[in-house]
Amino acid sequence: MPINKNAYQRYVVIDSLLRNKMRPYPTMQELIAACNDRLSINTKLNTIQKDIEKMKLPPPDGFNAPIYYDRYHRGYKYTDPDFKIGNLDLTDADIESIRESLALVQSIGAGRIDEKFSHAMQKVLATVAEVFDQPEKNAASYLQTMSPPVSRGFSHFELFTKACREQIPLSFVHYSYRKREFSAVVLHPFLIKEFDNRWYLYGYSEKHGAVRHFGFDRIYSPICLKKAFSKFDKQATLDTLEHSYGVFPIPGQKKQRIALEVSSLITHYFEAYPIHHSQQIKKHANGAATIVFDIVPTLELARLILWHGYHVAQISPKWFAQFTKELSA
Amino acid sequence: MKNQTKDLLFHVNAVSGKDNPSLLRVILGAQTTRLDFGYVATSYYIKGGWITIAPETYLQIKGDTKKYQLLDAIGISQAPVKLKFKSTKDFQFFSLHFEALPQTDLIFDMIEKLNGTPNDFNYYGIAIKWKDGVEVLG
Repeated sequence: MPINKNAYQRYVVIDSLLRNKMRPYPTMQELIAACNDRLSINTKLNTIQKDIEKMKLPPPDGFNAPIYYDRYHRGYKYTDPDFKIGNLDLTDADIESIRESLALVQSIGAGRIDEKFSHAMQKVLATVAEVFDQPEKNAASYLQTMSPPVSRGFSHFELFTKACREQIPLSFVHYSYRKREFSAVVLHPFLIKEFDNRWYLYGYSEKHGAVRHFGFDRIYSPICLKKAFSKFDKQATLDTLEHSYGVFPIPGQKKQRIALEVSSLITHYFEAYPIHHSQQIKKHANGAATIVFDIVPTLELARLILWHGYHVAQISPKWFAQFTKELSA
Repeated sequence: MKNQTKDLLFHVNAVSGKDNPSLLRVILGAQTTRLDFGYVATSYYIKGGWITIAPETYLQIKGDTKKYQLLDAIGISQAPVKLKFKSTKDFQFFSLHFEALPQTDLIFDMIEKLNGTPNDFNYYGIAIKWKDGVEVLG
């Protein structure tokens, strides 16, 4: 039988007392008091007695805990001084690292991922609060990250991950913002991609006869289908994404050298926050720079350039400069 | 043809009198028949107008008098309540659930109003070929 959460909390408290070298041989009364105090519960004598017996059992019912009652000292002890329940040999640095990581996850907002993951994270966060004596609600008070509200279509995240993982074709209704029309799509999905907090589902579209991607926000009523998963070339898409900034490659354009002449102010930002692994900065004496990418030109890259405004003085090749200029019109 | 118990999905493309909304999918289920639609607001009306579906809407198989009644509407209001748009660029996906049609080859109509106007959501001659259906996973 699996160990329930409340029992586990008591085991952790008992374990911590048995390992406390400063106050060895805790008595039964001290174990009860510690559980009551730390867990804000009203534990009874026979509960702790049963807990000790359970802890002595072999896994999965217990922990093989070598608990022994020392009649001379009138208290309990581990006969193996190195024993810990769960046998996790965590140093203080490990514990601090886990605390920080969990605080970061909590701050990012596990709910942004999906409900199942959120529940799992809540369990971990609750457990860490017990084990590390850290109040759950204060875990991330010193971290603040962007946690946008849940976007349309994100509720399908779990279904999409399952479909990609298990290679299940999907039927859904898609609305094109640009064409202003609905269409029914059968997709053989293989990839979920996030860019700038926008989520996309990639797969082979039967309607288009090619790999396409669809924004979560434009997908309605996805349904799993019982049909054979198509075989198609995923690698070309993965390669394009690897060499892109964004998810909308400019049609007909392959990976190429894109160069930007940027001001000294913007150079600082490109130095601090590289946007692509191919980025190279050739800095000039006045602090301005030529930023060079070996990249598949995308709509998002053009938009980023526009966003920097007059800080980007020149763009090459010329066709991309023209494309970017027309985008702003 | 022998009756089936699985739910089958059909992609269709049918339009009512005003080419809007589009009928996109039909799911012939053992318990209900579901029709999925997409409506795109037009500039004909200020702020895009409104849509609604009559609770009396039904399905009828060609050559049969039996009416398969509307059971539920999701994403659209049932008359007299209206789903009002806020702009001429709005859009709406909605589903209508009816009593289950027989799971076999058939041609059916969806009638919101008999002898109605192009404003009514009437669809005629929706053809279902059982062999074209794809089984829906539960």
